[in-house]
Amino acid sequence: MSLLELKNVSKIYGDLKALDNVNVHVDKGEWVAIMGPSGSGKSTMMNIIGCMDKPTLGEVLLDGVDIAKESSKKLTDIRRDKIGLIFQQFHMVNYLTAVENVMVSQYYHSMPDEQEALEALGRVGLRERAHHLPSQLSGGEQQRVCVARALINHPELILADEPTGNLDEANENIVLDLFAQLHAEGTTLIVVTHDPEVAEAAQRTIVLEHGKVAREVINENFEEQQKKWLARLIPGSKR
Amino acid sequence: MTKRRMFLRMITASLLRRRSRMLIALLSIGIGATILAGLVTIYVDVPRQMGAQFRSFGANMLVLSDGEEGMTKDQMDKALESIPTDQLVGAAPYRYIRVDMTTRQQSFTAAGTDFAQITRTSPYFSVEGRYPEKSREILVGKEIAETIGIREGSGMELTWQPTAGNTEGDPSKDRQPGAVLSGSAEGWSGGAVYVTVKLDDSAKIASLTIDAGTQTPEIGGLAQTDEAFTRQFIGKALPMTLGEDVDALSGATVTSTAVVEALNTARNTQSTAAAKTMKYTVTGILTTGGEEESYVFMGLEDMAGLTGSDAVDVAELSVSASAEELEAYAEQITENADGVRARLVKRVTRSETAVLGKLQSLVFLVTAVVLILTMICVSTTMMAVVSERRREIGLRKALGASDGSIRAEFLGEGMFLGLLGGVLGAILGFVFAQIVSVNVFGSSITFQPLLLPAAVLVSMGVAALSCLQPIKRAVAIDPAIVLKDE
Repeated sequence: MSLLELKNVSKIYGDLKALDNVNVHVDKGEWVAIMGPSGSGKSTMMNIIGCMDKPTLGEVLLDGVDIAKESSKKLTDIRRDKIGLIFQQFHMVNYLTAVENVMVSQYYHSMPDEQEALEALGRVGLRERAHHLPSQLSGGEQQRVCVARALINHPELILADEPTGNLDEANENIVLDLFAQLHAEGTTLIVVTHDPEVAEAAQRTIVLEHGKVAREVINENFEEQQKKWLARLIPGSKR
Repeated sequence: MTKRRMFLRMITASLLRRRSRMLIALLSIGIGATILAGLVTIYVDVPRQMGAQFRSFGANMLVLSDGEEGMTKDQMDKALESIPTDQLVGAAPYRYIRVDMTTRQQSFTAAGTDFAQITRTSPYFSVEGRYPEKSREILVGKEIAETIGIREGSGMELTWQPTAGNTEGDPSKDRQPGAVLSGSAEGWSGGAVYVTVKLDDSAKIASLTIDAGTQTPEIGGLAQTDEAFTRQFIGKALPMTLGEDVDALSGATVTSTAVVEALNTARNTQSTAAAKTMKYTVTGILTTGGEEESYVFMGLEDMAGLTGSDAVDVAELSVSASAEELEAYAEQITENADGVRARLVKRVTRSETAVLGKLQSLVFLVTAVVLILTMICVSTTMMAVVSERRREIGLRKALGASDGSIRAEFLGEGMFLGLLGGVLGAILGFVFAQIVSVNVFGSSITFQPLLLPAAVLVSMGVAALSCLQPIKRAVAIDPAIVLKDE
């Protein structure tokens, strides 16, 4: 069943076609990577899927709603209710502690619940670091807080933009572990990346070039790979 | 946790954990609020302060008796009831009499008064020595002290001679049985003719003496010696008419007319009370720079002891009130109190009102300028804050913050700053006003309980207004752009 569908989507800035008649389809529970070099339209696509931008042409159906036609206020509501965002630069509120950063997401969504926020941090292995400020956390820890923040409201879709771009390999693996776990729980994941290793972790990779879908690559080893990820994750989840 | 608690947690965290930047905003609000609270305190206190200053220049209202006998203490007290006690600085009664210092053959004006009130109504009175505290103690004006060489601690014997008869009003009042009357009138060529007459038990003339003065001896001068002329007055009542009651002295009509006129206008010259002499101790020499320096001051009780009457001629009032209020009080006194009327000392009340008006508009102007400066300062700081936090704002929006939430958060932070700044300002402002007051007016001020909430409200209002433009900018931030910034 389809969660996201881009139909003939174009985003045009003057003469530049950032996205040129793109058609993409993502099923519920799918883990999709969007790859491409700089300027290929990844970010534009990410902004459109993340309800932070609207296409010039085409339809974007998210959970059956054409978000290309919604007002920006309505887009904010949709983003809040359905999407969990993860960024390359982490983006935490620097004067709030880890748990407070997670609670900010709850605050805008519904009700702040410190216990639940602490549990989410426990899930990413940061229960003990909950009351640290971002400046007291490593990059990997910050990104894990952001994962906790993204999943706290149980979104339909987690949209990650270069989530491992600023992380070392160890932390990259931890984040990918978490993604595997989220996937196993049925969360739909779209990961924008230019890192082939990260893309390979996904079920399917959509490669963008010059604003067009150049090709789609299905990960044949996904099932096996997923088992491996999850096996590695079981001791990790008890951290 | 409720949303409100999270909201408060976020804005307090923003202020407490991002100290340096917010400190600047807090400082600008705090300083603004300090100056405002200080100025407002002074503004509120200035009329009182200046009023007190003006009150030191002397009384601004007089209460006078309608009649000639002066007013009683009851009348004065009744008049004072029209003035609220908290506005009445002082009310000094005065009674003026003429006293003689027989040993020196000098005569002075003595003023009976209430020294406790004088210190309030006439703070500029300067006493070398001290004010009288007990009975039989007096204050002597500097001029008298210098003339007769009297010092603090000297004794002084004063005599009160009851006024020799009356000089005003209807002479018929004086024609009492047994009275001795004397009078004078202009006779021939401007010379005066004097008469002294004694009345019998039925107020008829019992005896008569005529002093013809400089009248021509052989003509008018005969009025003094001609028994036939003199005798015809005996047994007659006053007033009389020449040609009807008595005949003119032959050939001296002018002198005769003068004699009758002198008789008709003759007054009682004899004292009805005996002269009284008392000994007093001088406790101080008074310097005022005015005519008071030629007076002797004594307590009203001492004056009553000397004259046998406790009436007062005038009460000088020092009232701390606006010109309009003063006028209303004066009218009320004149209307309500029996036999007395109130008059304003216009010279004092007018200048007071004018100076106060100018001072207050100056304070108002400075307040407005400070308000605007504070707003500019806070607005600029908040603008910098928004620009510094644009990524955080973008993040919040990406996490689903509506424009309303962003507005509420920044307004919340601004108003929280306003709250802190207002409290800070109210306290520092009071200190500031106190320092100004002590240095400029030489007196301390009382803390206005309303100052704290007022300063907080104004600061919060100013902070909120200052945040409007920065908030507009915050709301306009596009998360897609700022979150991509490297």
